[in-house]
Amino acid sequence: MDTSLISALTEIVGADHVVTNDAERATYDTDGLAKLRSTPGLVVLPGTAAEVQQVVRSCHDAGVPFVARGQGTGLSGGALPHPDGVLIVMTRLNRILDLDIANRRITVEPGITNLEVTNAAAPHGYYYAPDPSSQVICSIGGNVAENSGGAHCLKYGFTVHHVVGVEAVLPDGEMVRIGGPALDPPGLDLLGVLVGSEGTLAVVTKVTLRLLRKPASVKTLLAAFDSTEAAGNAVSGIIAEGIIPAAVEMMDRMTIEASEAAVHPNFPQAEALLIVELDGAEAEVTELFDGVTRVCQEAHAKEIRIAESEEQRARFWLGRKAAFAAMGRVSPSYYVQDGVIPRTRLPEVLRRIRELGDEAGLRIGNVFHAGDGNLHPLVCYDDRVDGQADLAERVANDILTICLDVGGSITGEHGVGADKAKHMPKMFTDVDLDTMQLVRCAFDPNHLCNPDKIFPTPRLCGEVPGPYRQHPAEAAGLAARL
Amino acid sequence: METTTDALLAQVTPYAEAGSIRPGRQTDAIDGVCPRIVAEPTTGPELSEILQWASTERLAVGVRGGGTKLTWGRCPGPIDVALSTARLNKVVEHRHGDLTATIEAGATLTQVNEVLGIHRQWLPLDPPWPERATVGGVVATNDSGPSRHWHGAPRDLIIGVTLARPDGALAKAGGIVVKNVAGYDLSRLMTGAFGSLGVIVDATFKVTPVAVSSRTLTVDLDSIEALEPALAAVMASSLTPSAVELACPPARLLVRFQSVDQAVEKQAEEARRLMEAATNGRVLVAADEAEREVWADHASRWDVDGTLLKVSTLPRALVSTLTWLRDQCDRQGLQAAAQGRAGLAVFDVRLDGPAEAQGKLIDALRDRLPIGDGSVVVRRASQDVREVVDPWGPLGDGEGVMQLIKQRFDPDLRLNSGRGPV
Repeated sequence: MDTSLISALTEIVGADHVVTNDAERATYDTDGLAKLRSTPGLVVLPGTAAEVQQVVRSCHDAGVPFVARGQGTGLSGGALPHPDGVLIVMTRLNRILDLDIANRRITVEPGITNLEVTNAAAPHGYYYAPDPSSQVICSIGGNVAENSGGAHCLKYGFTVHHVVGVEAVLPDGEMVRIGGPALDPPGLDLLGVLVGSEGTLAVVTKVTLRLLRKPASVKTLLAAFDSTEAAGNAVSGIIAEGIIPAAVEMMDRMTIEASEAAVHPNFPQAEALLIVELDGAEAEVTELFDGVTRVCQEAHAKEIRIAESEEQRARFWLGRKAAFAAMGRVSPSYYVQDGVIPRTRLPEVLRRIRELGDEAGLRIGNVFHAGDGNLHPLVCYDDRVDGQADLAERVANDILTICLDVGGSITGEHGVGADKAKHMPKMFTDVDLDTMQLVRCAFDPNHLCNPDKIFPTPRLCGEVPGPYRQHPAEAAGLAARL
Repeated sequence: METTTDALLAQVTPYAEAGSIRPGRQTDAIDGVCPRIVAEPTTGPELSEILQWASTERLAVGVRGGGTKLTWGRCPGPIDVALSTARLNKVVEHRHGDLTATIEAGATLTQVNEVLGIHRQWLPLDPPWPERATVGGVVATNDSGPSRHWHGAPRDLIIGVTLARPDGALAKAGGIVVKNVAGYDLSRLMTGAFGSLGVIVDATFKVTPVAVSSRTLTVDLDSIEALEPALAAVMASSLTPSAVELACPPARLLVRFQSVDQAVEKQAEEARRLMEAATNGRVLVAADEAEREVWADHASRWDVDGTLLKVSTLPRALVSTLTWLRDQCDRQGLQAAAQGRAGLAVFDVRLDGPAEAQGKLIDALRDRLPIGDGSVVVRRASQDVREVVDPWGPLGDGEGVMQLIKQRFDPDLRLNSGRGPV
């Protein structure tokens, strides 16, 4: 790394917040996807939005790539550092700037965790709806980059439905405010495209989020089934009844056992478990809950447990949310896949995944957001056995092919990142990808902002095409370019 | 030298023979601008080829759907080819078990919901003129109605798009599954872009079950000021209305509940209690035919000529904005009426009066509502009004990037030139 850039960045963030030595830099060489590693050229930890802006501007001027990183919990290598670039660690920007209950908004810095947002709003009877399983540690900035979902997005949507404004530093160092606490900023929906762009279009320095009123009533049940197919049928049955639960989660035998071993939620022994949660007005929840119970019975649930207390409900969710981490109890290593299918295809796809595992001689656990068809197969392997890691990756890739076969997606919430860029051509044509990259070229023509992510082949942007044309508003004398 | 219309038509004889291309007529005009040629493709590939041809010939292209919003946005420049989606109007697929549907741009909302209704589902968008407004037009303008309160606007419901770029290339983004983060979200970028980046060929949406039961509370208050406590009572409660609408004058709040029978009854009762405690207004609860009348009356307020503004404020600033509008209009001899999403603080204002005075009022309102804290966009207005005030107004810090996106998608600025925000 160029020493003059190092001194410039040190000047900006202070010597205490620059990491230059090899060993310390190496601790940043991966995010939540440990198989991809790359030691950043330099690590900086700015403390303010203004510092972030100066860092980005310096990188831009020096033609050096930069990658923003939050808590590093991402599962697609979206925050994988660039070996010749600067890693901008956002964790010091972790303040709540404005809790505005009257307008049902909260403005925060991106380094704050998802759960801290809900915790701030909770005393007022409000919460932040998207709740990824990693909500205890994942940062809001990362949620914005990935358009994170969570168990409750079936009813309440994803991060993109809850972000109303951001302050962001564009790849050339310009600081912009897009949207704000009010809805419907005029013009193109830049928020819609920024959220979920995996940090490739800008570095977000402030986020304004919608807060929702806590539901009057929440009811949660656990239904145990003899097969994942039966559980899948129950999910279809619930939707067919016209019921949209707040969450419908499924776990199979392996993930139930792993979770049981790790956090003891006292789940029933079964081939498949559904956690179904309804929330809303008391009368609605009561009536629809009866409907859900009936559908589960008709789908031959062998046991149905209803959470009788908030403590018991929390226990159900603890068991679910701990499932990924708990897999370490049953397998030395595992590969987490993230694919999406139309939910009506669940039984068929689960069967095909099982066959894939049987053929490869690998166990595959399933824990996922069944309501929206977002699968998280966990392909277990032993990395001490030669070739097993590669085999597991091949199986995980084959699972994506199955998802695409039935009209699904290669990622529902973990993102494309560095990991899945190679799969993008299976889902999109060259023209599709080229069109998406027109947006990239508008924001970041020099490919400095989190390069080598999402797209397998970067598009050469060239100069802004076309001759300068007078804007209609200018022609009418209503606006001028300054 | 400009190619004559006949010579242009001769270049595309096969399409002309198939009835997909014909000379433009006055009835094809877009905001008063009569196109030289009208193209009515029946498939995406056909639309793509026509755009490709227009691109090679460097022809200016305007897009039209059901014609309900042709005067929205800025006045367009000359239009060589009007691309109509009238014959691109199928519900491609309704995956009722998955609660999704893929719909071609030219299908009207009424058509769509007839098809989805077979399985007791609907695309929960209820903007004005559903029998004529097309899916393409509703997406391009991100237009919505009372149900936005619970179900969201088009940008919240869209999950995939097929678009034809100005150069004719067909591209898709998103998909047919409700959860999907693969690639940039061009579906949302196209939503509300007024066709400035590409032509929507089809779009895929989350759809929703039709509620079995519905009740609407009507609260008529003495003054706009009295809306404040009434609205606060509903919004601070944990009730889950599907719509919270205002209409001024007089000063009316409509609160709708849609769910299963019991839930609707109990919530309506609870809401009535809260409203009666918070105001001295009259609260009526309507169901069935009476409820349909309430909403038909609410919707009919739209079918009036005049300027139409879309105003967004902070929830807390909603009522003060309304009273300011009333006072300003009184002072300047303007007639104004407001109607829209009280719960979201996004509403429409109908304005009548001298163009100069309208322009002044709009400018003053924009000063009150700086970007971020609100916005004022002129949706529809006479040419007189649009000569004194820019329909879009300031776009904020993002304008530079918006212009760059437009230039990347449409380097010759030939598609829907001038009408959209960029």
